[in-house]
This record gives sequence, structure tokens and C-alpha cells, in this order.
Amino acid sequence: MTAPEVTGGPDEAALVPAQAATGAPRGVSGDGRGPGPASPSGFTGATSGWRRLSRRSMVVRPLTDLARLLPLLAGLVILHARTGGGLMWGVAAAALAVITGLVHWATTRYLITDERVYLRRGLLNQKTLSVARDRIRTVDVTAHLLHRVLGVCRVSIGTGRNDYRSGESFHLDGVTRSDAESLRLTLLSSVREAAVAGPVAAEPRPVAESEPAAAEPEPVAAEPDAADAGPEIVRWRIGWLRFAPLTTTGLVVLGVLFGSVIQITNATNINLAATGPVQRVVADFATLDVLQRVLVGGAVAVCGYVLVAMAGYLAVFWNFQLAERGADTLRVTRGLLSLRATTISRGRLRGVEISEPILLRAARGARCIAIATGLRVGRGAEREGSVLLPPAPRDVARHVATAVLGLPEHVCSGPLVRHGPAARRRRFVRALAGATLIVATIWVVAWTQHGPAWVRFASLALLPAAALVAADRYRSLGHRLADGWLVTRTGSLARRRTIISTDAIIGWRIHQTWFQRRQGLVTLTATTAAGQQHYSVRDVPTAEGLALATAATGDLLVPFLRAPSRRR
Amino acid sequence: MTTDSLAADPLLPGLRAPGNRVSRRAISYWTARAAVSGGSVVLGELVLAALNGFSAIWRLAIVATAVVVGLHAVIMPRWRYRVHRWEVTDQALYTRSGWFSVHWRIAPISRIQTIDSHRSVGERIFGLANVTATTASAAGPVRIHALDRQLADRLLDQLAVATGQTPGDAT
Repeated sequence: MTAPEVTGGPDEAALVPAQAATGAPRGVSGDGRGPGPASPSGFTGATSGWRRLSRRSMVVRPLTDLARLLPLLAGLVILHARTGGGLMWGVAAAALAVITGLVHWATTRYLITDERVYLRRGLLNQKTLSVARDRIRTVDVTAHLLHRVLGVCRVSIGTGRNDYRSGESFHLDGVTRSDAESLRLTLLSSVREAAVAGPVAAEPRPVAESEPAAAEPEPVAAEPDAADAGPEIVRWRIGWLRFAPLTTTGLVVLGVLFGSVIQITNATNINLAATGPVQRVVADFATLDVLQRVLVGGAVAVCGYVLVAMAGYLAVFWNFQLAERGADTLRVTRGLLSLRATTISRGRLRGVEISEPILLRAARGARCIAIATGLRVGRGAEREGSVLLPPAPRDVARHVATAVLGLPEHVCSGPLVRHGPAARRRRFVRALAGATLIVATIWVVAWTQHGPAWVRFASLALLPAAALVAADRYRSLGHRLADGWLVTRTGSLARRRTIISTDAIIGWRIHQTWFQRRQGLVTLTATTAAGQQHYSVRDVPTAEGLALATAATGDLLVPFLRAPSRRR
Repeated sequence: MTTDSLAADPLLPGLRAPGNRVSRRAISYWTARAAVSGGSVVLGELVLAALNGFSAIWRLAIVATAVVVGLHAVIMPRWRYRVHRWEVTDQALYTRSGWFSVHWRIAPISRIQTIDSHRSVGERIFGLANVTATTASAAGPVRIHALDRQLADRLLDQLAVATGQTPGDAT
């Protein structure tokens, strides 16, 4: 058994290996098998406090692992069918999965003390993670289908770090629903404290086995429990389904589907094109003329895409609800098969982003994402943790933004300060230069490869298209500072308006390329600990940008401004 | 620490330039670095060209690359030296860096979480060091490049003391 790994990154603050943390845990473990000799002494001895995952989690792990291995296993079984080794492989894999499940359950333990939460896992490389309770910003409870069948769920604890390596995320996979609920309440009470900086928790802290508050297993996220459910801010409507095909999420679902079909057919050696139904469809298709082919193909593609996008939307956002929980937390619950309940501390909420991809914008729709410390943005499934509103009518998005931040209405929807003719020129120059380059490439290639002439002339359509995008990009570009909120908007195909609190700005970056210098523009970027970590005001006239930064952060910039009397 | 801090920033009127230049040895360091990376590109081209029997196109490409690399190694370090500046006040860390594109960065001392110094092999050869201050924002590290080593050590101490006095990181 090796010594516990030191897992701390250089810049890490909240999540540290427990042995490096100050203050040993009060409850400590030791049930014979205990930690290795090299373990810190504070972690051996008494038995109180440390808790295991639910026994049912022993089933969850093997089954998920096996499901993931299924294509590979199927391939192996078929490949070795003649030699009879296939079954052996299957049994070996199943046995391995079961053992992993057992080991995972046996080696994973967690402990909640007044100050910190500890998580220990691993057989050979034993890791002990700990997080200070006042650094916990979010508690995320998810339950996919298998979890729901077994009545367990997964609890993820979000701290301020935005760059976990995979082994370091703080999650408990396979706690019972009641335990999850009690964990949420327990950890949240400290979130509330941290948010209001109160001295002592007003409500009792249910710790460990003696958990009276949520004794009955409550279906996660299915219904808000009446106890501390606050006013509902928004609830999903079936009509929002019309926005599903208007985002690129459907494409992602389609890609995943396609990928898994390819994987399965590869692994099982089935030639999909040789199967009966596919051959019949191909034969029918061959009898059509060109126009009919285009029409039929297009119709099938569009219908398929719309169906897939809607199915994806339903699976993820079914029964979406955003509600206040208690005085200063927000709770998002959603999901059809996998349920997800995210709790966001309002004290950690620094702003919102309203994004309008172009199709969604055309249908007067928008999405809304939370900008909060501890919620990661832009990493696949994790991104979904920050969703405040799925694609929905724009007015609803504005309502959500104003409601969660307590904003005045005009900050969300009001007009923005335009960036002037130089910024407009830059939009056009950049768009047209890019388009010209593409057109030129197409011409050269088509010329040298003797391609059809219409390709060359069709490519010219890129130029007006680029000009249109440039014009729209300029129309979208803008900023505003109102009531302590910095509002910026950029983009055209994916337009987004971000609203962040000026209190959350912890530094500035000013960037100026040589071209921007000639036009008197700068890109002003506010750095923050929340969301994407940086939000930019693009191509703003220099003086205006400096004035904006100065107005937003009070005296941070003032010492570095040139005194007016020193003007050359 | 402020030699000519009241002069206006010629690059960005309205902002004043940070007070201190980086070490003069930075020019040699940047030149060496540019020469090494550019030289390896040319070397790679030479190998590829040798495999293709030094055709006319390859010879042209190699000469063109060598000219670009040479110009870059001569112009970039001097240009960069004129741009790179830094300043530490009681409230904030303020830097200007870049050459073709210029970055200004301002981080309040009160928001600085960690301060560290990194010395690559190249920097050690030239007796240089850089100082990096990170904030709670992953996008917010402020780096002072190519400082004289003793100065970097002093600066690290000074920043460590300064940041220790202001608790909290605004997250």
C-alpha cells in the first residue's frame, strides 16, 4: 500500500489533501483494515463519524462499468465464439467489474466535521480529499436511471476550483436518497452561513447516522419538499419544446448516437449496409430521380434532427423547475430519466449569461446560465450544472435573470452603448477578410482541379453573407454599466449578453493588437472567480473603455491613469 | 520603484506606463529563445529538403524561413523590451507586456492568492526569473517576465508580505 497521494495543485485553495489541512478530523476511522502505515496518524484510531456509501452502490458501479464495456464485450464474445474463449472473457470482465464495485464501496468513506468534509477512496493509491465547509458553493444531486431503480444518487460538492483533475472532484457516487437529502441540508446550512457570514448555524446540523430530518426516502428532484421550498421562479412548459431544434444541442445528441452505432457495429462485426431493411431503403431510394432524392433526403434529415433534438431536450429538461429554497439558495431540478437537482448559493451567484444562438434568437428564444463561483462553465455535462433556464421564450429568460439577481428590468433588456464606427469597420474588415480568403482558396482549388464553374460562383455568396454577419455583430456589440452591474454583449451566430456584478471583478486585462492600436480600440476584460473567469468588452474605444473600467471598480484603476495635467 | 511613472503610456493614451523596465539581459534571452525555436524550424526544413533532394522550391522555402526567423530574432526582443514594464504599488500589481499585441494587466494586491517564481533553463542561463501572482480567477494571473534574479527574490518577499496583510480572496 502506498502512501496517500498528495493531490494538491499549485493554485489550489479549497480542496486539499486532508493531511495538509489544518485541524485533524474529530471522527476517525479504523476497522481493522484501516489505512496503511504511512497514513497520517490523525486518521487512525476511533471508529466514529466515517460513513460508507450505500450498500446498493456496490451494484451501481459494476453495472455502469459493464454497460460501458458492452460493445467491447460483445465484440470479444463474437470474435472468440469459435474458440469458446468468448464466454471466458465475458465472465472475467463481469468478475472484474463486481470486484471493482466491492472495492469501491469498501474503500470509499466520508466524514463531516464542523469545519470540513473528508472523502477517502482508493485501495492502492489511497486518496484523502478534504474541503472546508465554508468553501462549499454548490451541492449537486444527480440520479441516472440505474441510480433511480436502486434508490441511490450521486452527490457532487462544488468548491471554488475550476480546474479539477479528474481524480480530485469531490463526489459521492451511491448514497441513499435520504442520506443525499441530509447531506444537502447539512452542507447547505454552511453554505448559507458562509453566504451571510453568520456566526452560528440557526438550524441543527444533521451529521452522520443520527439523521432525523429526512428519514423518509424522498424521490430526488421529483417534487420539491414542502419544508423549505420557496417561491417558484419558473417552471417548464411543454410549449418550450419548439425551441429544442434551434440550438446545436441536437447535433451533439446526433453525434453521440452516430458514434455509439458505429462503435457497436464495429465491435459486433455487423455490416449495417448488408442488413435487409437498409438494403430495401437504399433500393427504393435508387429509383427516385435527383430532385426527389434531394427532397426526400432533406426531409428525412430535418425530421430526424428535429425528433432527436426534441428527445434530447425532453430527457434533459423534463419538468425543469427553478425555485428559491430558503432565504438565499436557488434550486434547479430537472430530468426525465436522469434526475438532477442543483443547489446554488445566492451568495455565490455573481451574474447571469443570456445566450441567443441565431436560430433561437430568430424564434425570440433565449437560454440563461448562472455565473457563480464554484460552477464550472463550458465542460460538457458539467456545464449543465449552471443552467438557469433551458431554451425558452426570451421574456422568460429576462424574467429569470432579473429574479435570481434582483436586477432592475432595464439591465437585462435595455439598450447598450455602441462601440462606434471604428469597431464597426473592424467587424467588417475581419469578416470580409476571412470570407475573401476562403473564396480565393475555393477559386484556386476549383481552377487547378478543373472543378465545375458553379462552385466558384456559388462561393461568391460567402461575401454578402459575411457582410451580413459583420453588420449583425456590430449591432450586437455593446456594453453598459448600471447599478453596479457590468453588462456586455458580443457575437452574432451565438450572441450572448453577460451581466456580472462589479463586486465580482478582481482584476482587469487590457489587450490591444497592433491593428486595434491604429484604430484607437482596446479589448477590456474583467477577470472574476466565477463562470468563465473572464468577461470581455470587445473593441471599445480606448477612452471609453478606461472610463468604464474606472467607473466599475472604483479606485483600482485610478492610480494608473494618466493625470490630465500631464497631457502631452 | 517609480522611475518615470508619470509619463503617459505612448501605446495607450489615458493610461500611464508602469514604472519599471525589465532586466536589460532580457533582450539577449529573448533573442536566444527566438533563435533556438526558429533555428529548429529551419533545421527541420533542411532535413525534409535533404530527403527531397534540395529541390528549388525547398531551397526557396528555406531561405524565406531563415529571413523571417532572423528578422524575428532581431526585431522582436528589442520591441518587446520597449513594451515590457511592471510596477507594484500598495494597492495593485500593474504590468504591460507583449510586442505586436500589447497586454496590460492589473490585479489588486488584496485579491492575490499565490505568488511564485519560475526559472526555466534559459532564464537561469541569463540570470533571469519571472514572478507570477495568481488571483481567484483562473484568467487573472499577472506575470512579470525576465526580471533580474535578485530583484525577483526581493519582489517575492515584498508581495508575500503585502498579500498577507489583506485577508479574503473575493470568491
